[in-house]
Amino acid sequence: MKPFLDLFSQNDFSLIAVVLLMPLLGAFVNGVFGRRLGKQAVRMMALSAVGVSFAAAIATFVALNSAIDATHAAHGEAAHSKLAWLAWEWMRVSGPNGSKIAIDLRFSVDALSGVMMLVVTGVGFLIHVYASEYMIADKGYWRFFCYLNLFIFSMLVLILGDSLPVLFVGWEGVGLCSYLLIGFWYGKLPNAAAGKKAFIANRIGDFGLIVAMFLLVVYCGALDWDGIQRHANDLVATSDRPGPINLWPIGGGKFEDYVIAGIRVPLHNLQPDKPWTITAATAVGLMLFLGATGKSAQIPLYVWLPDAMAGPTPVSALIHAATMVTAGIYLICRLSFVFVLSPAAMIVVAFTGAATALLAATIAVVQNDIKKVLAYSTVSQLGFMVLGVGVGAFTAGFFHVFTHAFFKACLFLGAGSVIHAMHARIHDEARSQDMRNMGGMKKYMPLTYGTFLASTLCIIGFPGTSGFFSKDEILARVLIETPTGVKLANAAAPWQWPSWAPWVLWMMGVAAATLTAFYMMRLVFQTFWGDFRGWTIGRPSQVAKSEHESDHGHAEDEDAEDGDHEHHDDLSQPGPPPHESPRPMTIPLLILAAAAIVAGIFNPAAIKLVVSTFSFLPLEHWLDPVFKDAARGITMAEHHTAHTRELISTFGAFTAFAAGSGLAYWVYVKEKGKPAREMMLKVPRLYRLALEKWRVDEAYDKTVVAGVDALADTAASVDQGIIDFILARLTALIVAATGTILRVFQNGVVHVYAAVMVVGVLALGWFFVQPHADFTVVEQNGDYTLQAGPGPGYEFRWYPDATKDPQTKDFSVADNLKVHVADGKSQTVKLEVKNAFGRVGSKAFTITRPATPTSAAGAVQIREQ
Amino acid sequence: MIPVEHYVALSALLFTIGGVGFLVRRNVIVALMSIEVMLNAVNVALVAFNRLPTHNNAHTGQVFSFFIIAVAAASVAVGLAIVLSLFRIRRTVRSDEADLLKN
Repeated sequence: MKPFLDLFSQNDFSLIAVVLLMPLLGAFVNGVFGRRLGKQAVRMMALSAVGVSFAAAIATFVALNSAIDATHAAHGEAAHSKLAWLAWEWMRVSGPNGSKIAIDLRFSVDALSGVMMLVVTGVGFLIHVYASEYMIADKGYWRFFCYLNLFIFSMLVLILGDSLPVLFVGWEGVGLCSYLLIGFWYGKLPNAAAGKKAFIANRIGDFGLIVAMFLLVVYCGALDWDGIQRHANDLVATSDRPGPINLWPIGGGKFEDYVIAGIRVPLHNLQPDKPWTITAATAVGLMLFLGATGKSAQIPLYVWLPDAMAGPTPVSALIHAATMVTAGIYLICRLSFVFVLSPAAMIVVAFTGAATALLAATIAVVQNDIKKVLAYSTVSQLGFMVLGVGVGAFTAGFFHVFTHAFFKACLFLGAGSVIHAMHARIHDEARSQDMRNMGGMKKYMPLTYGTFLASTLCIIGFPGTSGFFSKDEILARVLIETPTGVKLANAAAPWQWPSWAPWVLWMMGVAAATLTAFYMMRLVFQTFWGDFRGWTIGRPSQVAKSEHESDHGHAEDEDAEDGDHEHHDDLSQPGPPPHESPRPMTIPLLILAAAAIVAGIFNPAAIKLVVSTFSFLPLEHWLDPVFKDAARGITMAEHHTAHTRELISTFGAFTAFAAGSGLAYWVYVKEKGKPAREMMLKVPRLYRLALEKWRVDEAYDKTVVAGVDALADTAASVDQGIIDFILARLTALIVAATGTILRVFQNGVVHVYAAVMVVGVLALGWFFVQPHADFTVVEQNGDYTLQAGPGPGYEFRWYPDATKDPQTKDFSVADNLKVHVADGKSQTVKLEVKNAFGRVGSKAFTITRPATPTSAAGAVQIREQ
Repeated sequence: MIPVEHYVALSALLFTIGGVGFLVRRNVIVALMSIEVMLNAVNVALVAFNRLPTHNNAHTGQVFSFFIIAVAAASVAVGLAIVLSLFRIRRTVRSDEADLLKN
């Protein structure tokens, strides 16, 4: 491979183009020709596009590894190195102080984006394989793969972009693909509404990202990663312009009291006396985090993600679990050096993450829809990642992104496999996803069960699995690491976290982990253990029907436009017993489950507890150069304390796992769900509230959505009343009335037109025969220049003083006159004009010069004005 | 030699005849003929002024009148075509009945 990789130089690594553009090619071919190509060709195109992209990504990764080794050998320590490829120069914009900011369409791979690239293309390829079977009965097959390939392309742009604007292009691209794929079965209203909701929630986040870009341009004068990193300290510097940001809560500065008819309206109470002053780093951090809350489904914008499960299950696995939703965490890791400058922004990030993890976990406990449980579980896990990066443990947070991509993709695909089997029997979308109708599935689909169980053990942190190493690492880091900001000579001391914050965060995290263990084991027990409850839905199918198994129900949701499905012989009859999914669906499951189990070896930090000399931490060492700059803003507890706290944390995390899964075992296996039903009856209102997701959606409907609706109604009435009525109709009326009057003159008789023309010609002739004496006057310091207007054969005679003799006795061609008028005096000037016909006209004009104030004070006053 | 004033007077007379004819006659053919008379009045004036001694025998006036003759021929062709179409629509060549553009 080395001779091949030597073809590309480090600064013009065009292999990135292959990684990027293959999925785009796939999207293009499938989107434009897919309808005519047929399903097999579409499948081939989509799979080969992502497959080649994955292969190129591996080659790129190998090249990156050797580049890093080379710099390591040259500098003696791990240095940040990357492979870059400039597609083209995009735009030049002017920055502060007249500087030029180059925004290029440049892509780069470094340690962080390299791992992310492998995950996206690798997991993306497996999910493509799965989906190519899962969606086989769907009429929109080509459309699906066009969107899916386009998603991979956009996600790669997001990851590989070398500057914020390029990242933003990818950011919007994945948002678009997410919207298109959530609403893939757009014929159903809830699906279309879910897509719209996701899009709008993401727009709010994008607003934050754009504002962050503006701030970075102003403060750092750069938008590419290296440039921002170089100038990051400017974000907190006070000596430099533009300095910290003053925020007035209502805006517009301090309010003065308003006095009306002797009554004082105390407006100054509305605003505090002083504005809130925050550093630009805090503002940029919070705005970037607003973008991350949108994409990574954190409070307050998480509401779109559970609804996004309306899309096909592979989409949920790829976009809404493994890749796109981690973009927010990627962004925070990427700009970690900005975040560490502001402990205030970091505490917001950390608490939002912890609160999201806990809130989503409480909702997941009571849901019955298998995909809803997994959706809230995703929100909860994303909360963990955000918590991790919030306390400054960027490696740990990113490691959880990495492991989560495997096990959550596997969980979703496993759930899809179960739904697929259920749907073949029940033919009802909602009921085939309801866990209450499942049970005992391990007998029917052992492969799905095995992989699902393996991934579940990962997510709940079973010792030795990847989740144990990543999630519990986050919890440990919460106690050990604290962002303390960077002390700079020219900046104010950064605000510090209160000492209780790590412990509160840790307890929230452990509570969320306990709930995670509980609801995930509940999911497994309800779905795969016990007896199949689906029998009660209808008779077991006849033996004859099982022959149809191979072509049964490959789409859990029919396409809206799909009228005839080959496998629905009789919808009123229940189908055969659940069956294992075909091989293209189970093989990705096996690979993902295996990856999920062993991914922990990339960062087995927990082993350090036992063996303190243990240093096999490939991911941490790999990412070390990326986060080196951020590390200066993070304070680690001293070695001994850290060791103790790590033990405490691991003990807590293990307890969480054991308690959660043990409780689930007791409730759902030992007691067959009786305690759960009793609880339900004991606190029915709390149960309903949790089942209805704490009614957050309803609260948003009542406040934000209702407010926007009211605004829209007002705008509509203004549009109808003022724009449509006064501006449009009234104008039209005036024009029509004028037209009616003018129409009378249009009598169509040629002679009248001719006569009018004759009159016009005569009038014009008269105008030119008459002489027109006219001039313009220009003044400068009392010297007045009079310029006469031109005309045919004109000759002029000037009278500088109308009462006296003319300047010259005869008419001449001199068409201007200069006169000087003293201060405060006035003078009458006269002009006589003789035209070619010998006719004479005249005009007189009195020039008056105002008196100039002569006193010194007056002169000064004038200068000031 | 006839002084130039005579030519100019003739030209003015012809132009007036043409103009008045155009304004008062209702027959479109006659109106076209009146236009021709006016154009020829202009030609006479141009040729006459060309004979002024100040003109140094440059033949601008003559050349110009040739152009006018050519343009007049073209315009009559168009005009007669219009008259023909008018006659087809209205069965008349009276201009006061050709009020298709009214209102």
